[in-house]
Amino acid sequence: MSDNHSEEHHEEQHIGIRGYLGVFGILVVGTIVTYYIALSDLDSSLFHGANTLIALLIAFFKMSCVMLFFMHVRWSPRLVWLSAVGSFFWLAIMFAFTMQDYFTRGSGVFGG
Amino acid sequence: MATHVDTHGEYHPPGLQHQFEDMKQQEESVSIGMWMFLVQEIMFFGGLFTVYLVFRSRFPMAFAAGSNHLNVVMGFANTLVLIVSSLTMALTVYYAQKGNRNMQVILIILTMIFGATFLGVKVVEYKEKYDDGLVPVTGLNRKVKASAGEEHGEEPAKPCWEGAHEEHEYINPKGEFQWHDCSLAKKAENEGFLTPTEKIGYYNPASGQIDANKFRDKVRIYFWIYFAMTGLHALHMIVGLILMSWLLYKAWKNTFSAEYYMPVEMSGLYWHFVDIVWIFLFPLLYLLGRHFIAHGG
Repeated sequence: MSDNHSEEHHEEQHIGIRGYLGVFGILVVGTIVTYYIALSDLDSSLFHGANTLIALLIAFFKMSCVMLFFMHVRWSPRLVWLSAVGSFFWLAIMFAFTMQDYFTRGSGVFGG
Repeated sequence: MATHVDTHGEYHPPGLQHQFEDMKQQEESVSIGMWMFLVQEIMFFGGLFTVYLVFRSRFPMAFAAGSNHLNVVMGFANTLVLIVSSLTMALTVYYAQKGNRNMQVILIILTMIFGATFLGVKVVEYKEKYDDGLVPVTGLNRKVKASAGEEHGEEPAKPCWEGAHEEHEYINPKGEFQWHDCSLAKKAENEGFLTPTEKIGYYNPASGQIDANKFRDKVRIYFWIYFAMTGLHALHMIVGLILMSWLLYKAWKNTFSAEYYMPVEMSGLYWHFVDIVWIFLFPLLYLLGRHFIAHGG
């Protein structure tokens, strides 16, 4: 491919100071929202487990912001994308297989 | 292949190792190596998150009771401190790419201050747990001779769901794990959402009532997980601070420029990863069951 000069090459690799401050703002707002949502009883008003689900969704969103912009994954090679996404896929397998075991044991075996 | 070398002749960029063709190839190799490290970090924190998932799904009320005892103000403040330190770290990389030595040094020092603040708050929190007898290892809690609490008398006659907590907590001659409040389990029982597994876990088989000791053991599992996860996270913060000291030395000597800044970028990846772990730890450890006490129990 064409020979990139290092200055050009690095110019587009981040979102600038304003962008960084914007991501920071999102993270702070996300933290505050997480806290206030945890104070209201969504388990009763929405559905069982809603509190945890929403807290995790916000955390996942915050994590995506940090990874894409602070960790520059957005501008990284495909192999970095693959390792980032792959690790969470593997994590999901671990959670799913572990829980399908525990949830199907019935109560009592492990409960006492 | 060798077009880059041809156009620049004998020019050799600072920081380029001999095994690499050019800086771009080196940068990609370095960042993929770092990401492989981060992937295994995700996996071994993932093991702890799995433990959390298993036990929390078994004993949700014990976990909520333990979580409600944590200091949410400190946890919240620490989350903000860590986010600010992530911002200063990201800006350090930004200025390293610009080759601005002074801003790098200032921002690395700020990052270190915020990291140290986080650890300081954590120490205060751990001290509180120690004083309250919540370290899940017998003998590692504050030891107070039984005579010091004599005015409180013998074993309280009241059941554990009627606020026996205050009367008991300072009599701990062996430094054992202390938990005397099972009001949350009682509340769940009254409202009929105690799961069958929890009933087996909390009830005394003879009396069919909630057993203070059995409930305490389940809360103790929560505190094991709390200390293991936050402790491992704190260890990562300490490693991060060591990394920052090295980076500060390098930045002080004006090592980094637009062409060579990968050490800053890679340390940044590590620092942000540790921040991400906390982003999940904060809601999972501090905030579950918060709504039980937010509305007066």
